[in-house]
Amino acid sequence: MSLATLGLVALGLYLVALLIVAGVARRARRDESPADHFLAARDLGVLVLFLTLYATTYSGNSLLGYPGEAYRRGFSWIMATGFMMSIVVVFHWVAPRLRPIAIREQFVTPGDWIKHRFAGEDRRRSLEIAVAILMTIALGNFLLAQLMAMGHVAGQVTGGTIPYWAGVVGLAAVVLFYETLGGMRAVAWTDAAQGILMLVGLSALLGWLLSQAGGLGAVTSQILVERPEAARVPDAVETANWFSTIVLLGLASVVYPQAIQRVYAARSGRALRNAFVLMTFMPLATTLVVTLIGLAAIPRFQHLGAIEADTIMPRLLGAWAAAGPGEAFLAVLVLIGALAAIMSTADSVLLSLGSVISEDLLGRSRLDPATTRLGKRIAAGLIVAMVAIALLPRFTLWRLIELKMELLIQCVPAFLIALHWPRLRAGATFWGVVVGTVVAVAAVLIDVKRIAGFHVGVLSLVLNVAVAVLLSRAAPARGAQSKTDRSRW
Amino acid sequence: MPEPPGRVRRSLRRLSLGLIGLLYVVSIPWYRETGAEPAIVLGLPDWVAVALACYVGVAILNGVAWLTTEIDDAEPVPRENPPGGGAR
Repeated sequence: MSLATLGLVALGLYLVALLIVAGVARRARRDESPADHFLAARDLGVLVLFLTLYATTYSGNSLLGYPGEAYRRGFSWIMATGFMMSIVVVFHWVAPRLRPIAIREQFVTPGDWIKHRFAGEDRRRSLEIAVAILMTIALGNFLLAQLMAMGHVAGQVTGGTIPYWAGVVGLAAVVLFYETLGGMRAVAWTDAAQGILMLVGLSALLGWLLSQAGGLGAVTSQILVERPEAARVPDAVETANWFSTIVLLGLASVVYPQAIQRVYAARSGRALRNAFVLMTFMPLATTLVVTLIGLAAIPRFQHLGAIEADTIMPRLLGAWAAAGPGEAFLAVLVLIGALAAIMSTADSVLLSLGSVISEDLLGRSRLDPATTRLGKRIAAGLIVAMVAIALLPRFTLWRLIELKMELLIQCVPAFLIALHWPRLRAGATFWGVVVGTVVAVAAVLIDVKRIAGFHVGVLSLVLNVAVAVLLSRAAPARGAQSKTDRSRW
Repeated sequence: MPEPPGRVRRSLRRLSLGLIGLLYVVSIPWYRETGAEPAIVLGLPDWVAVALACYVGVAILNGVAWLTTEIDDAEPVPRENPPGGGAR
């Protein structure tokens, strides 16, 4: 059996399995409420919660974008292991405080927190809309990156039988189908299976690559000969960028709507805590592995262009498959695992987008079943729009991540500071978000990505926080109410 | 008199989070000479091996910090369903 045939059969079996899971999840639903569809009735246990967090966090960007970036930047991309870990660190300042309030008040979307925290204040609705717009743009961008990755991998897994455009369109339709049918339950269950496939597949690929190269030391020695600047101590700009990226990813990732919604969806606080304990080790098992895979590609493929570097993973898998029938089978499994990871992120993003737009942006009730139906229709419309854009890729996958994070990070004060500082006011937070976003967007428009290695989004956040804090301090105190704010939350 | 377990847990959590911050600072090679030829340690350039060791430390300490974190489960506030009803 040829690689293309093997790939087609494996892909077909995988897609059938997804549809079966969606059907089972549909039957397991308890009602038509948004909480059931978008949060699986808040009943995710430790293992499923951990695997869905894992599969959602480690996406097509991790599997295709990160090896590409390691190839482009060299050993300094070890920073990726650090910044992925920083996400689970920053959650210490979000989950323990947000979770009890979310359960008590039955939150479904991130905007529910803003409604509750700033209830009765001027500009509360403006802030809610501003945050929802930023989240929608960021998630739309994220969805786009997943669709592009789906197209690349579908072509590879079937040896080119399925072209890029057909992979994007066909797989987007499958994701939309099972997400609409089974909601968060289908997403979480498929995420669990997809997470396991990804973990096993990546480790096997790295093992093969290192055994081929003669070990990690041999790879490093080859890099020192062929591209020594990739292994030397980075300069001040790169180290500043290292710090900036840890801050950018650590802060922005905790305001991902799909991450916040998993905090709401956990069966218990204990289940959530234990899922985070497991999650903290996953950068070592995943990000480090894909970084080493990208580094091992430096001696193998020389002089790849910026966009071409994002195809390193499929190229390596192609080489692995050519080594023999056993290797071909394993390579197909890894490709299916990669596709699974990408689809699992796309489905989570799509689910969150539907809820954020229908509730936070359009102001529909979180208790009304009509909101669920509206969310599904919005998801369908969005995926059609994103498929159209994905058919003409213009950015590297890593640049898409940076753009998304630079906008998303502007939502941080509305969550992180609002959870810990009772004096923060809705109007002040709104103007902070506006200033931070305008500066970040202006920088993108004039093509300024970083200043002295620091992301423009991180520098804009500093302005954003300064505006929010100064205006809140200048605002008149709310008398007796401010003293009871903490207990009210 | 021994400290109550809650206080020990909170102290351990704060200590772990403080050490995590320190490890992040050490992981970035800002204190090394730019462009220096690296020694190979465990198959990696030495500055990369240091960063990786720091991240292993962060993972362990963060695991400890989460194990010593309590996340309360509040009871939901009962709410009326809107007309058209939520539950089937």
